[in-house]
Amino acid sequence: MAQMWITMGPQHPMTHGLWTLRVKVDGETVVDTEAELGYIHRGVEKIAESRDFTQITPYCDRLCYVSAMTWANSYIYAAEDLLEVEVPERAEYIRLISAECQRLASHLMWLGAYGPDIGSLTLMTWCMRDREMFLDLLQELGGSRMHYNYPRIGGVKRDIPVGFADRLVAKVKLFEKRIEEYEMMLDESTIWLVRLQGVGYANAEDMVNAGVSGPNIRAAGVNYDARWAHPYSVYDQVDWEPAVEKPTSVKGADCYDRYRVRMEEMRQSCRMILDAIEKIPGGKNTNYSNGDEMILAKAPTRAPEGATGFSNYECTRGASKFYIQGGGDGRGKNPYRLSIRSPMFITIPYVAKTMIGYKVADIPAIMGSFDPCIGETDR
Amino acid sequence: MDDKYDLVGFFLDKEGVFRSNIIKLLDGTAAEESASSISFAAGTFAAVNIVFLMLFFSQFAILWIERKAVARMQDRYGATTALRSLWVGENGVTAGEWWNMLPFGAGKPVGAINKWLNKKYGNRDENFPTVDRVNNRSWMGKTIVPGFFQNVADGMKFLVKEHMVPQRADKLIFEVSPFLIVSSTLLILGMIPLSSGIYATNPDLSILYAIAIFGIAPIGVFFAGWSSNNKYTLIGGIRSAAQLTAYEIPLLLTLLSVAILSGTFNIIESIHFQHAAGSWNIFLMPLGAALFLITMIAEVERVPFDMPEAEAELVEGWWTEYGGMRFGMLFMAEYIRTYAACFLFTHFFLGGWHLPLQGTIGSIEFLGLGGLYLLIPGAIMTLIKSWLVFLIVFVWARFALARIRTDQILEFGWRMLLPLAVLQLVLSLVYRLYLFNPDDMSAQNDVAGGMAWDAFGIPFFVPAATTLFWIGMFWIYLNDEDKSVAQERMFHVQTVEPAGTVVPGQE
Repeated sequence: MAQMWITMGPQHPMTHGLWTLRVKVDGETVVDTEAELGYIHRGVEKIAESRDFTQITPYCDRLCYVSAMTWANSYIYAAEDLLEVEVPERAEYIRLISAECQRLASHLMWLGAYGPDIGSLTLMTWCMRDREMFLDLLQELGGSRMHYNYPRIGGVKRDIPVGFADRLVAKVKLFEKRIEEYEMMLDESTIWLVRLQGVGYANAEDMVNAGVSGPNIRAAGVNYDARWAHPYSVYDQVDWEPAVEKPTSVKGADCYDRYRVRMEEMRQSCRMILDAIEKIPGGKNTNYSNGDEMILAKAPTRAPEGATGFSNYECTRGASKFYIQGGGDGRGKNPYRLSIRSPMFITIPYVAKTMIGYKVADIPAIMGSFDPCIGETDR
Repeated sequence: MDDKYDLVGFFLDKEGVFRSNIIKLLDGTAAEESASSISFAAGTFAAVNIVFLMLFFSQFAILWIERKAVARMQDRYGATTALRSLWVGENGVTAGEWWNMLPFGAGKPVGAINKWLNKKYGNRDENFPTVDRVNNRSWMGKTIVPGFFQNVADGMKFLVKEHMVPQRADKLIFEVSPFLIVSSTLLILGMIPLSSGIYATNPDLSILYAIAIFGIAPIGVFFAGWSSNNKYTLIGGIRSAAQLTAYEIPLLLTLLSVAILSGTFNIIESIHFQHAAGSWNIFLMPLGAALFLITMIAEVERVPFDMPEAEAELVEGWWTEYGGMRFGMLFMAEYIRTYAACFLFTHFFLGGWHLPLQGTIGSIEFLGLGGLYLLIPGAIMTLIKSWLVFLIVFVWARFALARIRTDQILEFGWRMLLPLAVLQLVLSLVYRLYLFNPDDMSAQNDVAGGMAWDAFGIPFFVPAATTLFWIGMFWIYLNDEDKSVAQERMFHVQTVEPAGTVVPGQE
């Protein structure tokens, strides 16, 4: 049969965003692929050069629309490195809890979007239902449901409200049971297994060479988690283990491994949250007023000339890295240069090449298992 | 046993009220000589129309069942549109005023009725438009079969949409293929009986007819996919053609085994057989029932076998380019096929119009309860059974399972379904020859049904033993997996030392 190119995207159910995957097919078999990115480039890095350090946080929220809190945190750590701020421990705990809630919400969004990719519509509504719980919690903190603008340089905007801890624990405990429910529906289903297992092999070595990070390499047995390898917040004080999958095949991690590692990561996030809310300094049911030194340290607004800040943060999709150079040309209030390293920008072109040799029906299964997010990719 | 409510008999019986009156009416006129034919034609017309209307309007129920059952499975409410939402709008203005769009002013009376209804019952508080919207979902706070009329609203939406043909499409084939699909689908309903007395037609070979007609639509699907001149539709159409043989052959063999067991190619007679045998076919051939359901899900292209319209990779598969009412008609055709599949399962395996435990309950003489039970019309029983089949099998499967790949259904069909279908065929032959000998089977037309299968002197032995055997086989199939491999796959997330015990970077 003659080969033909199919253009999937920019509006296509498989893309999970706005990008184009050009696929060359021979019948049902994929023989070549080509990823085209850049549809929603907003120039965040350039915009940041004319903004205060505080004003950049909302832009970083908008880097990823399903994982705003982690991206804002990621920037905040770089800015704190630049401005040399000591963050109160209570604020670090609150950041940890909020980031892990966001990780749960983001992974639920991934699972919910992955269900229709494989053909299971029920999975989507279930995940959306449970995601609401964590969005409600984040709303209590940041006041918003999508872009919170919650972390501040030196702490957080508001303290956790009274009663938040009880609701958090109740919801997380309920969600731990829900994870088992998901696994009952998915892992017991032969169809789910045959669609995921043996599909989309990605070798650990290849992925590390390409620069893929996060759950995608942990699924291939690489025990690298920035939270564990270079603990930045209070991740070394709470009880958790990185979810690392040992792939059964020598060819590397398949879609099922990536699915499993994210499910395990949700469990670990729950464990982390439950531990952190007990260990939080200052008590879990006290509410400090805005700007209290327990939750927000004084931070300078101007960076010294030539100073640099760097953060290596474990976002929900991999390691997000921020590099800020302050000062320069006497503009102490604005960064001279802000550089964002997005995990998905590296992953998507790599994934496009791993699809070669599989069927057309495997394209959404493989692409979805890597959890693409185009907001951060195009920046 | 024949159903008591004999619609066809009422209209077509020459001595019956209907035809004898027509013949009497035509006495002395020019049409006197052909009065018999005219009355027959009138009776057929009436019967066919009534049956088709019954089948059509009962189809609304399955759409509703799917919406609401799915909503319950997914922890949400589902569609809540009430009948009232169709005419009462926000502040007296219904969205769209669809009646003005009908040709020749055909919608004017609807508009007038709407105006009156809005005046009498409409929401008139323009300060609370949102409250109006919410109130429209109920009447005086009471919802009456919420969501039942959502499909009417959807259909109206389709009706007023533009009909677009892709510029480089093969226009003739593009326009013809929906008609091919929809008309062949409607023809299936022609031979589906609601009961022994309520059917449009009853050809002798109705089982063969049903399968032959079912097989036409995939050709239309292939035409549609090819003629749209779109790569997604092309792949969808070719997928449909590729998987056709994988499920059609097991389906044919399963139906052949039904026909062999009941000794007839006629649907109604195969139901009579189930009554005469004293057991529904599902207990005599559980394997056949399972095969029939699996292949039928593939035949009607629902999840897990909906590769031709796999919306994740093929946008909407072979019907991507259809919009407006053509999409609506194709959508309706898909549901009619599903509905017909439910009917066929009811008739072939669930005893058609017969009541559950008809012989046992029907013979209760206490207070005449048995007689009351037998008054339930067979058509109602058929509908309830079909709806339950739809709910329990088709809807549940669709929303609990994922979609499989084309190569996987081919492998599944050829390697699993086909051998099992052949096995079922052999079993049916054995049953027919040694347990249901045609000489012993007299079509018993009494309430209790037959005991022809009274094998080895033990009543109920054959259905009970068969069912238990296949349940056991299924249990073995489910549990005979390689546990060690499965466990390794499912629980092999590595754990390293708990946090805090190791300072990273310093070990």
